[in-house]
Amino acid sequence: MSGTDGQAGGGQEAGDKGFAPSRRTLLVLGAAAASTVVTVRPALAQTAGSVMNCEIPVPGPQAGGQYIAADGSLVAPGTAGAAPPLARPLRGEEVKSLLRNGVTPAGTDPTSAQAYANYIRRLQAGMSGFTCYASLTPR
Amino acid sequence: MRHRLDIQIGPVAFRIGSAWKAPLDALGRLYAAYPKPADGLADFTVRLEPEKPWRRWLRPSVAIKGDYILPDAAPLALAHGLLAAEMGMNLQMALGQKNYLLLHAATVEKDGRVLIMTGESGAGKSTLAALLGERGWRLMGDEFGLLDMDTGALMPFPRAVSLKNGAIRVMEAEVGADRFGPRLEDTPKGAIRHMRPNDRAIAGMGQGGMPSLLLFPRFGPAEAVRGVGKAEIFMRLTQASTNYVSLGRRGFDALARLVETVPALAIDYPDTDTAVGLVEAFWRERAA
Amino acid sequence: MAGPTYIADDLYELVTVPLDGLSLVYHEPSGATHIVAPPAPEILEALMEGPADATELLRRLHARYEFDGDEVIHVRLGELEEAGLVRRA
Repeated sequence: MSGTDGQAGGGQEAGDKGFAPSRRTLLVLGAAAASTVVTVRPALAQTAGSVMNCEIPVPGPQAGGQYIAADGSLVAPGTAGAAPPLARPLRGEEVKSLLRNGVTPAGTDPTSAQAYANYIRRLQAGMSGFTCYASLTPR
Repeated sequence: MRHRLDIQIGPVAFRIGSAWKAPLDALGRLYAAYPKPADGLADFTVRLEPEKPWRRWLRPSVAIKGDYILPDAAPLALAHGLLAAEMGMNLQMALGQKNYLLLHAATVEKDGRVLIMTGESGAGKSTLAALLGERGWRLMGDEFGLLDMDTGALMPFPRAVSLKNGAIRVMEAEVGADRFGPRLEDTPKGAIRHMRPNDRAIAGMGQGGMPSLLLFPRFGPAEAVRGVGKAEIFMRLTQASTNYVSLGRRGFDALARLVETVPALAIDYPDTDTAVGLVEAFWRERAA
Repeated sequence: MAGPTYIADDLYELVTVPLDGLSLVYHEPSGATHIVAPPAPEILEALMEGPADATELLRRLHARYEFDGDEVIHVRLGELEEAGLVRRA
């Protein structure tokens, strides 16, 4: 692997007859909170608008009438403070506005919008609407 | 399927099947000047199907199917069937293309060299490319840039340009009415109108070129130009590519070479005329 | 305690492209691409000499480079491990 020459601070000087160099180059170890390794992830987001007109049902069909708590988890129907299932799936554009700008989708209760947003954010692969969600959010 | 249309676009042959005639009639008019695939063989198939069997007639609803599909894709109204066909072709490329590294970019050619414009959807690169294509450049594509991983050249993929909302008026002022498909209202992306590439673009669809400049254009209140670090360019291009990850070592080598050898700039522009001016100025500088 | 021993034994299957002070790294066995900043390349190169725990790795690095804040090495190794570029023996 080709190493980099380290940071500013002078090059290495070869000593006479192959002795160890007298000056070492500076290396920055970085802050604990820093990130020095970024892995490339598969991407569909930038082209998603041109390949998919997508919807996210809130909640998905497996939920069986359950309500959505403020943190986005599913709870028993009628639980106090929980939001009812949406009658129609949300379109991709509505989800984007909801997640980025907190815009309440048309025909839904503003006090429930946060619960719906958190439900969507918790979607995992295999759940209905996940591909749509993944395509809307960069990385 | 009941109705069928075959089209060759650049190096890719499509077969589009449809349960309804109207979308293929519209598509056929838009691509009337394009060749048919040699030997009648298709690289990808798109199928426009009824969402449910009875939706072929009752409030017709078009589901986009084909060799490759996406779950959670919502159907479109039959009135937007042409859009469904176009999205279907995009989908096959995004998920199935293995011969070229795909970049979500508009590409135009001048003097044998290629300008790549990439960035978020809605940044106006399709409109810019379409305009340049009418002002002395050859339009190679407005949606997908095809990078030949062996030669480093960009290959043409001149699909009908998908113009949205305000961009429709811009191009209607620029070219004749016979260049457009129908105006589609109230699609999930707003108003859309497709513009077919001009004769020069269609005639040149087999001619690639080496990239000479990479631009990241963006609408901004004032004209601005910034350099972009090469590692950042690489990362942004991987996020603009639907097939980078699946192409392994070949994709890595080709993209690294592109980033190492092609200069890049990020430009902000308040209107398209300013953008065209900036592009021409940088191109002259690059050629000098 | 020196902690676990780290190995980067498929370093010969890394394709590296330096760009602007960072490096693009393609890891053949996984097909993954990473963008890494110093000291990641230096750590990987130091591990080419053979498996090492944090103490030994720091010794190798101090022989070639000037730096302080040794304890951060654990965070750096964690990142490399998560990316699949190093593993525990």
